[in-house]
Amino acid sequence: MPPNLKLNAVAFISPQNHPILIRTFSKQDDHAIKYHYIAHTSLDVIEERVAAAGKAADCYLGLLFSMEDVAVYGYITPLKVKIVIALPLSDMVVRDTEIITIFKALHMAYYSSIANPFLKLSYSGEGSSEQAALLAVGSPKWKNFKRRVDEISWLVGQPSNP
Amino acid sequence: MASSTPSGQRVLASYAAPPAFLASPNWSKVYSTILGQLPLRNIHWKSNSRGTLKTIQELQVTLVPFDSLRDEHTSQVPGTLLEKPLLHIYIVHCEDNDLDTYRNTLKKQIKDWHTAVTSRRNQDWLILQIIRPDTLRQPTGNFFQIKNSVLDKLRTDFNSDKRDRCVQVNWITGNDSPAAWAEFINKMKEGLLYAFDSAIEARQEEVRRSENQQAMPGWNFCTFFILKESLASSFEGMNLFEEALIPYDELEASFYRVSKERNMSWFGPLLPLDPNQDTSPFLSTTKKPYRDLILENKISVLDFRIYLLARQCQLLAKLGRLAEITSKATFFLGAFGERLQDVPTLSPLFVEAWRYSSALSVVEHCNTWAAASSIEASKSASVNAGKGELLDLARSQLDVLGMVAGHLPIAPPFSTSRTSTKIWKPNTPINFINETLNVAINNKEAFYELYVAVLNRAIDFYAKSGRRKFALKLHGNLAALELHRGNLAAALITYTSLPAHYAPHMWTSLESFMLSRALDTYNKLDRTQDVEWIHMVLSFLKTHVEHNCEMLVGGVDKVTCVTTLISSLRESVERLENLAHPDHPIITIRVASNAKLAGGRDGSFLDVHVTNHLPCAFPVDEISVLVSGRESDKFRYASSIDDGCPSGKSTYTLFCATPASGTFLLESSEIRSAHLLLQSNYRKAGKVALPLLIRVPHDPLALDIRISQSNQIQLGRLSSLMVVLSTGRNNVNNAAIRLVAPSITFYARDAELLEDKHAKSFTAGADRIELEGLDEDSDIIFRVPHSDASALTAMKVKLEVDYATKDEPTIVRTSQFTRVLITTLPISVNVEDFFRGKKRVHSTTTPGNIQLISKFTVSTTSHQHVRIANASLELPLDGLEGVNITPCVAKRPVVTVTPIQPANFLFSLDSSHGPVRESLTLSVKYRMLREEVESIIQDQVRGLLEEFPSKAHTRTVLVSKLVNALESDAAWVEMYGITGELAVPQTNEGPHEFDDLMKEAVKRLSQHRHTEHPEGKWREIKIPVDVPFMNIVAAARIRIISTPFAKETLAEELPPLYAGQPISANLNIYTTFHWGLSPSDTNRQYILRFNIEEMVREWLVSGPKRGDFVAKDGETYSIPITLIALHHGEFALPRVTITALPMSGAVTMGSMAVPSIETYQEHGAEKILVLPRGGRTTFVVSMGPG
Repeated sequence: MPPNLKLNAVAFISPQNHPILIRTFSKQDDHAIKYHYIAHTSLDVIEERVAAAGKAADCYLGLLFSMEDVAVYGYITPLKVKIVIALPLSDMVVRDTEIITIFKALHMAYYSSIANPFLKLSYSGEGSSEQAALLAVGSPKWKNFKRRVDEISWLVGQPSNP
Repeated sequence: MASSTPSGQRVLASYAAPPAFLASPNWSKVYSTILGQLPLRNIHWKSNSRGTLKTIQELQVTLVPFDSLRDEHTSQVPGTLLEKPLLHIYIVHCEDNDLDTYRNTLKKQIKDWHTAVTSRRNQDWLILQIIRPDTLRQPTGNFFQIKNSVLDKLRTDFNSDKRDRCVQVNWITGNDSPAAWAEFINKMKEGLLYAFDSAIEARQEEVRRSENQQAMPGWNFCTFFILKESLASSFEGMNLFEEALIPYDELEASFYRVSKERNMSWFGPLLPLDPNQDTSPFLSTTKKPYRDLILENKISVLDFRIYLLARQCQLLAKLGRLAEITSKATFFLGAFGERLQDVPTLSPLFVEAWRYSSALSVVEHCNTWAAASSIEASKSASVNAGKGELLDLARSQLDVLGMVAGHLPIAPPFSTSRTSTKIWKPNTPINFINETLNVAINNKEAFYELYVAVLNRAIDFYAKSGRRKFALKLHGNLAALELHRGNLAAALITYTSLPAHYAPHMWTSLESFMLSRALDTYNKLDRTQDVEWIHMVLSFLKTHVEHNCEMLVGGVDKVTCVTTLISSLRESVERLENLAHPDHPIITIRVASNAKLAGGRDGSFLDVHVTNHLPCAFPVDEISVLVSGRESDKFRYASSIDDGCPSGKSTYTLFCATPASGTFLLESSEIRSAHLLLQSNYRKAGKVALPLLIRVPHDPLALDIRISQSNQIQLGRLSSLMVVLSTGRNNVNNAAIRLVAPSITFYARDAELLEDKHAKSFTAGADRIELEGLDEDSDIIFRVPHSDASALTAMKVKLEVDYATKDEPTIVRTSQFTRVLITTLPISVNVEDFFRGKKRVHSTTTPGNIQLISKFTVSTTSHQHVRIANASLELPLDGLEGVNITPCVAKRPVVTVTPIQPANFLFSLDSSHGPVRESLTLSVKYRMLREEVESIIQDQVRGLLEEFPSKAHTRTVLVSKLVNALESDAAWVEMYGITGELAVPQTNEGPHEFDDLMKEAVKRLSQHRHTEHPEGKWREIKIPVDVPFMNIVAAARIRIISTPFAKETLAEELPPLYAGQPISANLNIYTTFHWGLSPSDTNRQYILRFNIEEMVREWLVSGPKRGDFVAKDGETYSIPITLIALHHGEFALPRVTITALPMSGAVTMGSMAVPSIETYQEHGAEKILVLPRGGRTTFVVSMGPG
């Protein structure tokens, strides 16, 4: 039976390096800060990777680093939104295709969430509304995005079909 | 690099030669020359499987004698392909033409060797013929026999396929130039590669076969591993490191596959049995006989993995890809450690210790490798990052060790390093192989030192690699350690500096964590809670509010934490001076867009919806909102709050005592808690957001102030304006009024009260006017003079009124009113002056009989109708002797001046003493039609409401309703002008509470009539009028006389006049200097010229039609003329024009002065009846005598 992947945490980070959503799926509350750290520090590595790859960069950035008991993978959308996921570190082969599938699903979730026209409406009053709307998608006011991400995490954790 | 390669992995090549040659001294020379050509350089290798061209920079080749090659197939273990020679070289010294030697001896020797060599699989051979250069120089008689050279023979004898394996080298002693040997070297490379390729191909085939047999019983992973590894080591021996990596990577993958199938029978236990585990250098392939263990199927999984990793790392190191080593190692330590955690038999903290020492060991390895191969700067960053990660890993192991040993608290950030949930029994003996760790775990200080050292190294590496955010995180850890160790000051410094790094990108979660730590540290330090502390608390609350979904402060209940913070914040802000904090998000204010009137008093209420985002109440003393109007006048709505602002939403009503109406802009809001001011500004520069507007309804009963043009305007005097202060509902105790207008000065000191019945005291100060004791519902009118404003069409006056009412004597309201005053006068006056003789009493004009008639035309300057009660021309106050003014009409009704119909006023002026030098005053009493109607309405409504005292308060509203109704339709104007009846048009407004009153008022207004005398308040304008002067006033008269000789003719006796008949007439010109510049003018003389104008259709003029004469004061100049009427009819006499000639001697402005003169035609209005000529004409002709 193939091992199931499990998401420990998902982080969406805006092109300006503002956190959009950091979602942790671990039981321990203490560990939330850890994933915030991970999301924050992974920005350094993403930066390195993007700079190294130059123009022909792929969206999928691969394993960024492994830290303590998690392996951190990165993905950068064409519009430079960064998605970082943390999987539990295990002595198993994790295939890139699986990770890319997860990332694509997360990207899609983000994409469909920011497509909500009401999002911009409620932030139209402020300056640089575009940016604010993007950030707002992760705020507690808008539940859909979070729900979508949770769904993906749940799906990833399901035993795959034989 | 070559030295690190084991000798067994060098490429081997054998050599052989005829024994005679070997024995000769030449051999050693040749041998050393060949060695001198090695190592081989720039070998281009094309991979069969991948088809990519790789270049081997340098390849060491070891030459061994062919004879030494003996034992084949000594071992069943597949070793590297390079164990066997790849190439065999036969070296023969034979001149090209020495075919005999070749045929007789050499050929057989070579043949023997060749047979031996070709029997070997996957090995290649090469024959090197060495010739002497002098042989070439020999004259070759057998030139055409060249085909039969030894080389050709060699070729034909031994070359079996297309490849030419025979080389000739021209030997010159001492010449080891690469050019001479190039062909040989190339052949050698070719042969080596050929052999290598075929060997590799064979081996790969073997591997593939084995791989396909995986499912078969008896297949052994370890055997397979050794087999496949031989590929890798072969590539490595050829210096093809990248190729060498591939088998290892594939082996790693197949290991995972195997381990996934849980078929681990080929391996020993998971862990090696010997405890000598974590002291050895981690990435060493020689510390244990790994390959033997593998072959024996005894290797532990851990050892196997370490071996695999170490080999990969070695290859990577040779490739210079150190960054990959670190990431591979980190991942392995983490991932395999996880697996080890599940082993129950492990000694406590084995995994942590293993990880720790391994990580440090990898860093050491990297350092040596990096030193061995110089790495370019761009790569060193990533290597440093990798080293940092390794040290970070080591650090997190120390976290766990520290927590178990009790050196560190079990709390974030340390507790996040704990990856297993295993709990060791207390008192479990902890013992490590690593002595440093042993010491550290037993000695607190040693542990801390170790921890700090590792941490600092990691930070150092991160800093070098530019990973700022990693370094920040570790700084946080360092601070946490300092905090735990009690170095509070150091911890505080770090904690207070860290939030700034997280704030700019809104990583509020981390920021709040740092802030909360900083606050904790602060508390522990027992420092006084100063401004810095307050800022920290506010920042913390800010992050708390913004990151409201979760707080990353473990353990403590959020609400209690915040509540205690708030209460201590409150305590500290009470001690401090005012501290403003802009745009803090803990409390947001939403302001309603409409204000409500206060009702019983001046001012308005404004609702604000306050949202407290904190989970507990926030102590608020006052909430205020600042709004600003068009003229940057600002009003403050405020409300004090006693019991703080509860969590969540709440609504407060703010009050502003100042009566103001209109639309205002929300400027800022402020929440005051003791000395802490949380402000938010709604009008930021550069913000594109729409401004928030607040509408305040008009309060008709509030104190109001209006300005208008003064009702006493005197042109040429200091202008002034009239201020009307309406108290509305207020009994005003005292009020102070200031007037300000740009570029205009008000002389407040000279202000005068016009109607003093309402004010108890009126004080005109230097810059303000103070009033006391004003009754409610009264208008206080006063006039304030100001500097000239005629340059402006409109004057914007800002009036500031500070007042306190009797009901609320403590509240001083400050109202600002901006009023615009149109400085243009509503009427304009034009004057025309005429000199005329008085009504003729005698037929001749006598001195002093000429008077001045002034015609004043009053017209309106705007579209408005102006009612004029009276206009009079007045003498100066003390009168003028001998001057007499008579209006043309003694009394006239009120006149309405409309834009199309001006009004004329005529006055005659008589002066008995010559010219009038003083200026007179034209005084016009007027008012605007609107003013008049409004005052009528006011009066009527006032009168009406006296009958209904209960509804007195509706007066203002009623009046404005009536005025609005009249404004809607102008049909009533004409009727009003004639009768004074005000027909209020019907308005189609909805029913209202005082419809009845309204009806009554309309009825009363329709019964209103103009009174006989103008009543009410009128404005008065006084215009100074100068009386014109005229040097000469002349009166010309053509007088018809009956006969040319008649001296006097009475008009009534004028004979009938016929057309064509000559008519005698006298032209009399009377001149007077009475209206001249000065009375002394009467003695002067002027030369005048008269001219009788032609009237060619009516009159023929005969006689002196034009002439000059000397005019004297009061004298008449007469001249006879004859007129002939050209046709019959009634027509006027010709006009006489009189012009003055320049005065001799008097020069004005460089030219001759011409005295001013005005002439009037005395006969201007007279007409002469000329009869047609008829009847008979008798001519008498004298016949003469006879």
